[in-house]
Amino acid sequence: MSFSQPKEDKEIEESLVREFQGGNLDAFDKIAEIYQKKVYGLSFNLTRNQMDAQDVTQEVLLTLFRKIHMFQGKSAFSSWVYRITLNASYMKLRSKKKEPNVSIYELMPSFNGAGFQQEKIQDWSENTESLMFTNETREVINKAVDLLPEKEKVVFLLRDVEGLSTEETGDVLDLTVPAVKSRLHRARLFLRKKLSNYFEEFSSRKAEK
Amino acid sequence: MICCKECLDLLYDYIDGNLDQETTKTLEEHFEECPPCLAFLNTYKSTTNVCRENLSEAGIPDVVRDTLLKVINKQKAEQQNKK
Repeated sequence: MSFSQPKEDKEIEESLVREFQGGNLDAFDKIAEIYQKKVYGLSFNLTRNQMDAQDVTQEVLLTLFRKIHMFQGKSAFSSWVYRITLNASYMKLRSKKKEPNVSIYELMPSFNGAGFQQEKIQDWSENTESLMFTNETREVINKAVDLLPEKEKVVFLLRDVEGLSTEETGDVLDLTVPAVKSRLHRARLFLRKKLSNYFEEFSSRKAEK
Repeated sequence: MICCKECLDLLYDYIDGNLDQETTKTLEEHFEECPPCLAFLNTYKSTTNVCRENLSEAGIPDVVRDTLLKVINKQKAEQQNKK
């Protein structure tokens, strides 16, 4: 399910970074082209605000431009860029009042004493097609993601939305692989539950017709 | 047979293909006999796909792209002047 960065891409990026570090300013255009969309996407999903995402992207590009000498190549360049992006996005969020997150544990699956599922589970997975990309669906998803606690949200955005591998996500966040896995699993369970309410209602409406 | 709780704990590694053959087999046997867990598996996978497709759509607006290009060019020009 993860599509981590192909090796060739990584090599191309690293050689661009070396060129830019060596004084070839035009190499930066390509670095910016590769990253501005990713940086914008991630910061938009974190801040949910176009102006903030633009500010963050600009700030990240400037940091990359001015501080490229600080990149030592100890971890992947992409990890460095994502870390800078997260810091800049959190700085933006810090100045804003935030709605409290719900406890993630309230939405975890429940089992009976024998370890069997207690809830009725409806399979809505085949019925999402017609709801994709509608404003209502997007709104439901945005809201659900916004409600995720920060620790789970960032793992979910990096791994499932940006498509980093488990290892790369751990590298960006300085987390072990098991820690990334358990946070992501919790995030998916939480979102599944939230989305179920929406898609189940739609499925039963469809069945009635 | 494993219980539902164990089954859901294994979902993540199952989807990633990280389980050994024996565990995979046990899990798949559970899915065959337990419709709720099969439904859970399907909707768990769908959740990721639906979220990814809707969220990764946030393309960068043209105005933002233009602004960023100007910022970069300005930086480059400043750097060039320093030389």
